[in-house]
This record gives sequence, structure tokens and C-alpha cells, in this order.
Amino acid sequence: MTTWEGLLFGIGFVTQPEVLIYCFLGVVLGTFVGVLPGIGAMAAISLLLPITYYITPEAALIMLAGVYYGAQYGGAVASILLRLPGTPQSAVTTLDGYPMAQSGRAGVALFTAMASSFVGSVIGIIVLVMLAGWLSRAATAFGAADYAAMMILGLVAASTIGTARPAKGFAMVTLGLLLGCIGTDVNSGAQRFTFGQTELLDGINLVALAMGLFGVAEVIANVRNPDRQSVAARIGLRRLMPTRGDLRRMVPPMLRGSALGSFFGALPGTGSTLSSFLSYSMERRIARQPERFGTGAVEGVAGPESANNSAAITAFAPTLTLGIPGDPIMALLLGALVIHGIQPGPMMLEARPEMFWGLVASFGIGNLLLLILNLPLIGIWVAMLRIPFNYLYPAILVFLCLGVYSVRGLTFDIVAVAGIGLAGYLLAIARFSPALLLLGFVLGPLIETNLRRAFLISRGDPMVFLERPIAAGFVIATVALLLLPVWQAWRRRGAGSRL
Amino acid sequence: MQRDWPDILGGLLLAAIGAGAALWAAMYYDLGSLRRMGPGFFPVALGAVLFLLGLVVALPALARTADAPKIEPATAIAVLAAIVIFAFSLSRLGLAGATAVTVLVATLPAPRKGWVWRIVLAAALTVLTVLVFSVGLRMTLPVWPRLS
Repeated sequence: MTTWEGLLFGIGFVTQPEVLIYCFLGVVLGTFVGVLPGIGAMAAISLLLPITYYITPEAALIMLAGVYYGAQYGGAVASILLRLPGTPQSAVTTLDGYPMAQSGRAGVALFTAMASSFVGSVIGIIVLVMLAGWLSRAATAFGAADYAAMMILGLVAASTIGTARPAKGFAMVTLGLLLGCIGTDVNSGAQRFTFGQTELLDGINLVALAMGLFGVAEVIANVRNPDRQSVAARIGLRRLMPTRGDLRRMVPPMLRGSALGSFFGALPGTGSTLSSFLSYSMERRIARQPERFGTGAVEGVAGPESANNSAAITAFAPTLTLGIPGDPIMALLLGALVIHGIQPGPMMLEARPEMFWGLVASFGIGNLLLLILNLPLIGIWVAMLRIPFNYLYPAILVFLCLGVYSVRGLTFDIVAVAGIGLAGYLLAIARFSPALLLLGFVLGPLIETNLRRAFLISRGDPMVFLERPIAAGFVIATVALLLLPVWQAWRRRGAGSRL
Repeated sequence: MQRDWPDILGGLLLAAIGAGAALWAAMYYDLGSLRRMGPGFFPVALGAVLFLLGLVVALPALARTADAPKIEPATAIAVLAAIVIFAFSLSRLGLAGATAVTVLVATLPAPRKGWVWRIVLAAALTVLTVLVFSVGLRMTLPVWPRLS
């Protein structure tokens, strides 16, 4: 199938009413949770996982993906209006978006964010289509050792890049890998760490884990958070349209941000939060008047918002073509596919074209829906910000309990959610990343299977990881990433002694 | 400012989990060889790595100070209790009863004072849940409390 045939096929698939409705639901819900500070895309996707049992895997993926990129649009709203990032990806948007709102240009800031998000997504879609074809062809050369090395690189990258203490990130990833061992070992059939509990034979339930770590923990953290109480925001939305000067200033950052985001989104372990931060610092560095940044520069909104959206789209390339999720949200989506018995990989483009091309087309249609809906409905989203969390969180809790119960009909799973929720709350307080734990959990069985296969093929010779060029490349990148924090610490110490 | 307790305790706990998992796996599961790994190989390796990482997190933190984290035990207890209550009351109180009780318990830590809004919220959410899950999604659950 050529790209054009694929796209037409995908558009035909998504415009079926029973698919379109889930795309619509996904983006609207995504915007909603993106707007609400405290409840992010992770929590929303976790809460929706049980529903996906009732619909086709294609519709499920389209809906969950819609939540993800819809949240990127919504995240900007709270960032700009309240200086409360609705999602981590839009945290950097507060730096210039909020000053713009303060000086009465909230409408322009929102327009910039929406338009940049749209441009970023469109460029991301183009890059995704090109990358996916190339990756799935390249993936036929991938052996078990290459897969294992790439996944390890992804884990190392996710836990070192953009984190203050890499050791804590590594520890969370390792704990996740260890939790992934619980249950029946696929290779030998042995039961590991089940302690006689039949409920644990299939391992820890992904739905329960995700809901506990994100849903419950976020609810606990936000119940008495003063920022989350109803905000009577006075917002001047008189003028949405930017001036010609604004337009001239926002277009180049959009394109640069999209290119940056497309690149980093496709790399394992980096993702959209990093892209938005990088885009912001790049724009400030190349600006003629860097002092305007932080006081309401349009570029500071346009760059990061396009970067995080294009990264959110291209992140699907390795997930769908190699079956390797680059960030925790991708891991959650991959988990949702595995629940449906689908293991993404190089064959998916051919074997399930409606999955890949349908998803790609849904990105286009979903982003168009977001652009059309969000600008006129901005008033409604602003009103959403006034819903007190008091009314919202009990509903979230009941929904979460019923959701996890509906998966297997086990009371055990609801109690497990409470236990995992406590752990997730404590982890968040101590600043250990639960998202990295989840990434390790999803990748654990994949890494173990590929490692075992690689060593079986090489007869126990670890040199296989250096002899195969693909694996060797990943190993070298991994070692470089591991040495980076050591080198930085050494340089800092050196600089300190000179002073 | 105080000692960086989150990292010290968190690191030590992780080290303990790692050591425990590695020892348990080494005792009860077949290790195999590098060429033909048994079910114990991966857990033992991961447990050992986690043990070391836990120490790497905890030991440097001993010499460091940090802001005390804000913990809200009352909120956590109420929210978690609400979930556990839901789990165990679902079969006895039915969907309606379990939802109402859970919402009432969950709202205990909410900053807004007064009881009226809590009862109204519980009633509204009960109606909503029954409509969505029992009528709409046709989940096979008892709706009303069992009287016997």
C-alpha cells in the first residue's frame, strides 16, 4: 500500500460513524483533562482502559491516542490563564503565556497555542508516516539482541534525560522491571512472586497499576491542594486574533518547534515534555531580543506548543512499528493493545492496515476537530476550570473502582488499586517517578524474552551485543548516556574548584 | 530544612525490596545459565541492581538537607478507605449502596464545610453510576442492598 492509498484508506476507516465518535470522545475528554490541572493524560487513559474492552482495538487506540494529544491542547489553557500547567508538557508555556494573559492578551496567547499545536501535529503526522515506513523496513533486520539493546537504551534515556537525580529514575525503572516479573514466566511456565495468590498468576493487572499510580495518587495529592480549589479567573478574551506582527513572529518558532519535536518524539525515552523545554530554550537563545522572553513573547508559546504536539505524534512511530514504547504514555497505549491480544511490530503496517492508517488519519481528523472546537469553545473550557475539585474527585474514585472491577470481576483488583495508590502517593511525595515505574513494568517481559532469546542464539556469549552493528550502536548510546551525568558532575566539581 | 528523608528512606526501602526479591528468586527459582536462562535469572539480576541503586540513592542523601515534603495522611486514609469500602460493600450493599457510602467517605477530607452538599453529591453520583454502569453498560451487578 502506498502512502496515499494508505491515507485514503485510513480516512475512509476513521470517517465511519462508529469510529469517528470515539475519536471525537477521545479528543474532547483529552482537552477536558488537559485543562484541569492535576489530572493528566496518564490518569485519564488509565481510567479509560477498562472501557476499551467493550470496543474494537482500533477504536480503542484511536480514542486513547485522542486523549493524549487532546490533553496537549487543553494543557495550554490552564498554563496560559492560571499559570497552572494542566499537563507537564505545557509547563513551559506558563513562562510567556501567563504574562501575555496578564497584559490582556489571553485570547492571542490561546490562539497561538492552538494554532501552534495544530501546525506541530500536522508536521508530526508527515514525519510519522515517513518514519513508520522506513522503520518497519529497517525492523526486519532487527534481531533479539537489537530489540533488547534498544529497549534498554529507551529505559536509560527515559530515566537520565531531564531528571534531577538519574539514580532515582533508574531505581524506578528497575522496580518496574521487577514488578513485571510477577506472575507466570512466559518462557518456562514457572510462577514467580505469586505467593500462592491465584489473582497474581497473570501478573499485576496493568489497569490496576496505572489507575493506582496515576488516578488514585493524583486524587490524593489534589484534594486539599489550594491551587485546585475553584478559581474565579477573570480572563480577557476580547480579542482572539493575533496582529500581523504576532503572526510574523510566531510562524518560524512553530516550524522550528515542530522539527525539534518530531525528532525527539521519535527517539526512545525523550518525549514531548523534553521537546517543549528544548524548544523554549532554543527560541530564547536565537531571539534577537532574548529579554522579551518571560514577559509575554509569542515565540515562547508558539515554539514549545508545536514541539510537544509533534513529539506526541511521532512517538507513535517506534511504538507501532517496533513494538517499543518510548515513553510511559506510549507504554500504556501499548499495554492497551496487548490487552486486546495485539502485539505491535514491523508486520503491523501490512497485517493491520486499519490500525496504523486509521490511527494516522485519526490524528489528522482529531487535530482538525480540536482546532475547530477549541477556539469557539474556549469559554466552556474556561468555565470547566471553575468546577470545584470537591465535586469531581469522588466521581473519579467511583468510576475508577468500577472500571478496574469490570475488567476481571475481582474484588482483589479494587483493593490492589488502593494499595498501589498508596505506593504511588508516597512515590510522588518522595519525588520518585511512577511513570518510569510503569515504563519498566510494560517493557519488562519484552526485555526479558529478547535477552533470553539473544543469549540462547549466541550460546551465552555476551559479545553478541557488540558484534551486531545495530545492537552495538544502541549499547554505545546507552553507555554514553550513563556516563553523561558522571561527566557533568565531574565538570561541575572542576568548575567549583577553579572558582 | 531537614535531612533528605524521602531519599534516605525511599532508597533504603528500594534496596531492601531489591535484596529481598533477589534472595527469594535465588532460593526458589531456577537460575539456569547465561546461555539458557531459567525463570530466576532476570529477577535475581534485577533485584541485585535495585539493591545497589537503592544504596546509591540513599547514601549520598545522608549528607544532604531538603525541604520536608507535605504529606496529608488524613486525606490519603480517607481516599484509600473509600476505595476499600467500595470493594467490600459492592456485593452486600449493591451498586447504589456502595457508591453512596464511598462518596460520603471520600468527601470527608474535602475542604468545603457542611453536610448538605456531600449528601446531594452522593445521591447524584449514585443515580449517575446506576444509570451509566447498570442501565447503560449493562454490567451484571446487584444494584440494591441485599436484605437477607
